[in-house]
Order: sequence, then structure tokens, then C-alpha cells
Amino acid sequence: MTQHDADGSVPALRTSRLGRRYGRVWGLRDCTLEVPAGAVAALVGPNGAGKTTLLEMIIGLLEPTEGQVSVFGETSRAETARTLARVGYVAQDHPLYRDFTVADMFHLGRAMNPSWDQKLAAERMDALGIPLKRKVRKLSGGQRAQVSLTMALAKRAPLVVLDEPVSSLDPVARLEFMRDVMASAADAGLTFLISSHVVSELERFCDWLIILASGHVQLAGPAGDLLAAHRLLTVPRATPDAELPGTVIHRTGSDSPSGQHSTVLVRADPVQLTVQGRPGWQAGPVSYEQLVMAYLQLRTPLRTQDDPAPAAERPGPSTKAVTR
Amino acid sequence: MIWVSWRQHRSQAIACLGVLAGLAIYAIAVGSSMRTAFGKDALTGCLARSQGVGCPGAVTAFMNEFGSEVNIAFWSVALIVPGLIGVLVGAPLIARELEYGTWRLAWSQTVTRARWLTVKLALVTGGLVVLGAAMTAVITWYRAPMDRLTGHLLHNIYDFEGLVLTAYILCAFGFAVLAGLLLRRSIPAMVAAFIPWLAIRLVVEFLLRPHFLAPVTGPQNCPGNECGDGIGFVPQATGHIGDWILGQPANSTGYLYQPADRFWPFQFIEAGIFVALTAAALGTAIWLLHRRAA
Repeated sequence: MTQHDADGSVPALRTSRLGRRYGRVWGLRDCTLEVPAGAVAALVGPNGAGKTTLLEMIIGLLEPTEGQVSVFGETSRAETARTLARVGYVAQDHPLYRDFTVADMFHLGRAMNPSWDQKLAAERMDALGIPLKRKVRKLSGGQRAQVSLTMALAKRAPLVVLDEPVSSLDPVARLEFMRDVMASAADAGLTFLISSHVVSELERFCDWLIILASGHVQLAGPAGDLLAAHRLLTVPRATPDAELPGTVIHRTGSDSPSGQHSTVLVRADPVQLTVQGRPGWQAGPVSYEQLVMAYLQLRTPLRTQDDPAPAAERPGPSTKAVTR
Repeated sequence: MIWVSWRQHRSQAIACLGVLAGLAIYAIAVGSSMRTAFGKDALTGCLARSQGVGCPGAVTAFMNEFGSEVNIAFWSVALIVPGLIGVLVGAPLIARELEYGTWRLAWSQTVTRARWLTVKLALVTGGLVVLGAAMTAVITWYRAPMDRLTGHLLHNIYDFEGLVLTAYILCAFGFAVLAGLLLRRSIPAMVAAFIPWLAIRLVVEFLLRPHFLAPVTGPQNCPGNECGDGIGFVPQATGHIGDWILGQPANSTGYLYQPADRFWPFQFIEAGIFVALTAAALGTAIWLLHRRAA
């Protein structure tokens, strides 16, 4: 089954009403999202939000209880070589066999993947100065991450999923790792889905943002468009939510000494949003981190009248241009 | 996948070769002196003439020299060795991947995990069959002189010859693979597999094996309890080396025994039981692993 996007291109990844139940508990539910080809998408969510469940269904390690995953238009089926071949995966903590050498790991990759690119793997190790004869247990954390990434890239899968790739790395290694990912995305035209807690790295490198909380997609779209669609308002504390424009995402008491104001993050069309003529109101842009934090604190799926299923957020054709 | 399996089990294979080499050195050392003694005591001719009945002194001397070494010490260790080999190889096969998180690596390559496990199991099982056959060959060679005195059907002989030794190893291996998948940790899986393996092993040996085939009722001219004994290893009840005397039931008029020539049928029956248990455990493991995705 091939599904086309609004503008005719096939998204790299699409999940529709995806859900996974463990016994009586839903690990993830009603997850609908889309990542266009060539994007570097950040998947953000607190622990227990269902990130790993989502990733495992995308990779083909887990069959959905309901809904479906499609990768480049083709519906995924867990435990089939065809689906496994289409997604590269760098798991959290970069698991590798400790008593293998780097060359052994690549030999494994070659033995287990028909489209393995040994030249790419060897060249990357050469460029990074990682000797192929070195045992995995003697590699640094950064080098292990690079070997893991190289294995995912050499698999020659069009979509690469990274689960917490930099959380165990020091800041310099983080930067190098993410630069490498970006270079691969640009050079090979790969699509990346990166789950992470490290919001600062995501802001620098990811052009697409997906926020998952409480087992639901709370926000998804091009990062720039999402930032532009939100405003941080400062209003008198007594102002009721009903008088506020747009959709209230998050509201806090004032940090100012007088304690007379509330800070409110709203989703609203910036053109319609005006604070002129309202005494004590101020409006400003929202930072990436403020936006992420506000959505992560949502306890329930967000629903508004004009946007019946924000989980199914679909950017219009105008927002299609991915900012690089 | 063949290379991957070999690379992951290489050190285990080398350790197994080490065990086999140690066994072979011991067997050659003891086996050679046993052969020398066997010839020196002229037991060969005595056996041919009278099944050893005519030379009780030589039989007793031979057994005094080698019996304890070959039987008691060896049996007590060797009872658990096949189980230990099986669980040491089997428990980490899946559990180690789960313990170290490498399952995410192993199962996200372009090979489904059911196939990954099936290929690994086929190769490792093949290796264990080779190991079991080699151990059996070494033990059978080294015990050969003694077997001529005792036959092959007695407990501490039967367990290491023919087919059953290999089947014991495989069964412990199968249990341990399944336990590793269920418990997700190697050491608890080893314990959890070894205990039922040993229980089944002893139950089969002492409760089932005497009845694999209907026992033969011996001659009735044998009142009292001494029929189980005999001169040398020739039971008085049957007059034939290696017959396995089971005893005389209270309401029976004769001794029950299993004839010595039932060695191979018994081996096939017992090996069949353990191989069936192995197949059930490994089949369940493959099915469960495949089903984890659903």
C-alpha cells in the first residue's frame, strides 16, 4: 500500500492511529505522525511516554496492537526481513558485542544484511581514526556510538532510528556525533528519527519536532513552524483562560516579584494575536526549550475545536519546506 | 549467520575441546594400564572359557585395582557433567543478549529473530552432538576391558556409552535456552534448567529405565535373595554376563531381569525421551521468541 502526502511525495515514515497494549496497559495509543523524506526529526518525551514502544514498532521489533506503520509508503510488518531491512537502528547505550573487534562487528553486519556497505563502514572508521582491529570493550563511549551509527548507516536503510544516541556522551562527543548524523542525512539523503532528552542538541540539529507525552503525540511538525505558531504571553494573573487567544498549552504563576502576572504559552496564529489595547499584556516568541517543556508537562491529549486531532497534526503544503 | 554463530560461540567451543582433551588424557592414562592389566591377568582367556566364573581371583583383583577409579569417582562427577555442559552453553544463548541489551542489535539486522535463533540452535546443537559423540567414543574405548567383565547395561556404564550421553547434554542445553529466554538472566537460567534436568535424569534412570521393555522372568530355581549376586559379574539367576537383575516381586515365582542384549533398544528409547524433551524446549523457545513481536 502506497500512501502519498498532500503534495504527492511519499513520507519517510507515517504512523496512523498506532497503538500498543501490554496486557491491560496501553504503552502507546492513537499515535499518528509523519516524517517527510530527508528530515532529521526529534522525538521528545518523558520517560515512560511510549518512545521505545513507538521506536520498536517502527523498526519492526514489535507488532502494533492497532493502527499501522508505513516506511516510504510500505506498511511494516514486525518480524519480517523486508521491514527490518528498511530501517537502521542505533539502540540506546549502543549495544555491541564486547569481545568482538570492530572488524568482527562489521563482519556480523555483512553476514546479516544483504545490502551491507563495507566500504562505507571501513571509510568511516578510517576517517574517525578507530582501528578495525580494536576490541569493542577498549573503545571509548564516543567511539562505540560511532561504531553503532556506522553499522546502522552501512545497512543502507533509507530511514535510520536513533534511540537516545548522545545521552551517554560528553559534550564534545555529542557535537561530533550529531554533526556526523547531519552530514549523513545531507550526503546520503537519509531520514533520521532521533529520540532524545538532550533538548539543546535537538534544537541545533533537528528540523522536525515530535513531542510524545502520556502515550500520545502532543505536537508534531517542522520545528520552525511550530515555534512560529506559539507565543509566550504575560498577562495579569486574574485573566481567565477563556479570555486568552488561541489554545492555552501551559500556564504558570509569575516569576516577577510583584506576583501579579501569569506566563502563558498559547498556540495561536501570530497574525491574529495582538496585545495592543490590553493593559498589562505582553507577547513574545517562545524558545525551543520552553515549547518542549510546556508540551511535555501536558497530562492529557490536547484537543481543540479547530484542530480535532492535534495528534494527527498535518502541516499544510506551505510548511512542507524543511528548513535546513 | 553461520559466521556470527561461530564467532559468538568460539570460546565455548574451545572450552569444550579442552574438556574433551582432559577426558582423553585421563582415559588414555587409565585405559592403557587397564588394558595391560587385563592381558597380564589372562582375563581374556578366562572370559572366553567361563565368562570369568573360572577365575574369580583375577576378576576381583582387576576390579579392586580399577573399579573405584572407573566407577564410583567417575560416575559421581560424570552424572552432572553432561548437565553442566548443556546449561553452560545453553543459558547464555538468549539470556546474554537480553542481559547486555545486544538483542536490540542482533534482532534489528535484516534477519528475523526466529531465524536468528533457529540457525544458532542448529549450529550449536550440531556442535554438542559432535562433543557428545566424541566423549562417548573416548569413554567407550577406555572402559572396553571392564565392559567385557560387566556388560553394558549396568547403571554406571550404560549412562556413558551409546546414545544417551549426547542426549543428556542436548536436553540440558534445550532447557537452559528456554530458561534463558524466560528468566532473561544467564546464572538463574543455568540453575533453573539444571535442577529439572537432574530430576528427570534420575527419574528416568531409576524409575523408568527398568521398565523400558517388559522384563524377562528368569529361571525359577532360585529361592532367596542371593540370585542377584553371582560369581564375578555373572548373575546366578541367568548365568550370563551383563544381565540386569531387577529382583523378585513378592507374588512372583521367578527373578525379573533385563537381558544384556537389550543395550541398544534401551539406548534408543532413553535417548528418544531426552531428544524429544530437547525438541520440545527448543521449539517452545523459537515460538516464544517469534511471538514476542506480536
